[in-house]
Amino acid sequence: MTLRALIARLAPLLACLGLLAIWQVAALVLNNDSFPTALDSIRAIPAILGDKEALINILASLRRMAIGFGVAVLVSIPLGLLMGRSRGVASFFNPLLMVIYPVPKAALMPIIMLWLGVGDLSKTLVIFLGVSLPVIYHSFEGAKAVEEKMMWSGAAMGLSAAERLIRIVLPAALPEILTGCRTGLVLALITMVTSEMIARQSGAGNILFNALDMGQYDTVYAMIVIIGAMGICLDAAFERMRERLVRWSEPQFDIPLSFS
Amino acid sequence: MNRRSVTRDILLGLIPIALLVAIWQGTVSFGLAPATLFPPPGLVFMRMAQQLTSASFDQEILATLFRLFAGFSIAVVLGIAIGLAAAVSPAVNAAVRPIVRVLAPLPKVALYPALLLLLGFGHESKITLVAADALFPILLSTYYGASSVEQKLIWSAMAAGTPPREILFKVVLPAAAPSILTGCRIGLVISCIVVFLAEMITSTDGLGHVLITAARTFQAVDMFVPLITISLLGLILNGLLQAARSYLLRGFPEV
Repeated sequence: MTLRALIARLAPLLACLGLLAIWQVAALVLNNDSFPTALDSIRAIPAILGDKEALINILASLRRMAIGFGVAVLVSIPLGLLMGRSRGVASFFNPLLMVIYPVPKAALMPIIMLWLGVGDLSKTLVIFLGVSLPVIYHSFEGAKAVEEKMMWSGAAMGLSAAERLIRIVLPAALPEILTGCRTGLVLALITMVTSEMIARQSGAGNILFNALDMGQYDTVYAMIVIIGAMGICLDAAFERMRERLVRWSEPQFDIPLSFS
Repeated sequence: MNRRSVTRDILLGLIPIALLVAIWQGTVSFGLAPATLFPPPGLVFMRMAQQLTSASFDQEILATLFRLFAGFSIAVVLGIAIGLAAAVSPAVNAAVRPIVRVLAPLPKVALYPALLLLLGFGHESKITLVAADALFPILLSTYYGASSVEQKLIWSAMAAGTPPREILFKVVLPAAAPSILTGCRIGLVISCIVVFLAEMITSTDGLGHVLITAARTFQAVDMFVPLITISLLGLILNGLLQAARSYLLRGFPEV
């Protein structure tokens, strides 16, 4: 049993290694100049991370992402909870959100750049826009599903409306909210890369696409590995935090039933 | 819910949208922003009406739609197939789950340069990117939908003598349909967004390319038109999927 548990634990790592192995074999078979092997690409990573300017660029990307994500979460959760608890607020914001939903947020970049310049502000704003919608939506759904009886008991015990929102609705909706935040985290990373690619000034996306333009294929693939690893690590860290915060709720990953 | 409260809700919902357009118009009218950078809404919508009737703009829309549908269809077929297989067979599940766990949070846009180098600058790389991005929401919701089918339904079908293969299509697939369609809806919106971004990065046609061309020549009006067009396309396709959903799921208890 311990062996099986160990394998289950290492499964994502094994999957990573497997995918890299497939890449290695495919590159060796295709033997194409623009498709270096996995080993060559990974060998190029230390050179990038060792370069001071590249490191500053990547850290600047991460900083923008953290600020955009943080502000979006701080604004979206209260808004979503209010929408879930009050019909008026919900019908006020719902149509607007429905209209904004299919707009590609990163595509707003060229327009926002005209007003706010190519600096940090416009990129952070685009990340903020990209993250806030899923967080609002999931907080809304979570708050809507809170049991009325708990609200009544809270009211009967003399909690004010604001207190009920913080003490009852927020914890009850937390699993759903965190699902939204997880989606938002991945979206933040995607928006970050895209915005930097459109406003080529600094950041991880800038390194990636400049390398593509200059035909430095090793760097292109190494940056892909770095950005991919960032996504996977952030997601895994968030998942761990989520498990701690909402240990009481039903686990999301159920063991699938089989009927074979 | 009576009709009056519904009317009130709709009116309440129109306020922020109207307010937004009013602020937009106001900023331009009071000269807070130069009209060249921030064209008034009337001008944008006029330009849009003019563009929609021009043949060249319709060509761009068709190019975008083609990539969108090609990528989305691949994602739907693969997502449902893999999701069902993972829910049904423990062996497939053991293999698919860690791979999905690793690939799902990966920002697919970062793969786009690699796809460009491997598949070229034509349709293929964009379709692959759209498919890769839309795949995971569909796959995951199919998997959750199929693995939460009530065991009693499956047992009764087995007791009635249905062979396992038919249980999959007659019991599991219909029971998972609401969840699958929700996944498809998320995948569709993602496809809309991704196809536009891919066209913005490198393309010679499509709506994203129209936006980038306008941005490079500082035609602010022409930048708004493709953005609004792709958002409208997203809304229309979403509405169509919603209609298909209520048709497919007729007879289901509230979904």
